[in-house]
Amino acid sequence: MPANPELKQKVEELLRDNKVLLFMKGTPEMPRCGFSMRLVGVLEQLGVEYGAVDVLPLLDPLREVTGELADWRTFPQLYVNGGLVGGCDIVEEMLETGELAGLLEVEQPEVIAAPAAPEPADPQQSPPLKLG
Amino acid sequence: MADLAEIERMIAAALPGAEVEVVDETGGGDHLRAIVRAPQFEGRSRIDQHRMVRAAVQSRMDDGSIHALSITAEPL
Repeated sequence: MPANPELKQKVEELLRDNKVLLFMKGTPEMPRCGFSMRLVGVLEQLGVEYGAVDVLPLLDPLREVTGELADWRTFPQLYVNGGLVGGCDIVEEMLETGELAGLLEVEQPEVIAAPAAPEPADPQQSPPLKLG
Repeated sequence: MADLAEIERMIAAALPGAEVEVVDETGGGDHLRAIVRAPQFEGRSRIDQHRMVRAAVQSRMDDGSIHALSITAEPL
């Protein structure tokens, strides 16, 4: 199924406007997926500013969009300068090796915190997606 | 529920010369980790390496045999 053109355009705008953009399940304050929570933890450790999009209210349409834009359909996804860096696996590896700090032009933390344990998904309805 | 040996064969077929191991991370048979060392990864970004592995098993993601796939990739 082709991606919704309007949604795709909004995502492209967000990618242009946010040097660091995280597509996640839930919000940084209330992640609803353990992998999303871990990615938030990585970005917080590095102290970078980032935009976060909650994908849950538009999960399937957004899968189509990121599938077309970046050949990747699972969330979370971290984009830097408009390009997909990866999901939780890749980003945590790059945190450990210092590649991520280099890419984001920040200092590598002296001590890297262990990833937080995933929590079961909360069945409550998630807050509305803010696109733009 | 995925057939781990079949998943290994699919990755190995897509990446000739690769060393492939697929493990069941949760015991449920559908949350898998693929550990792949492949000559084709040389010079490719991590996301590209993961895309190559994922593409090899896409049909088993699409049919629901694999619910989640973690990937550890490195050039051989």
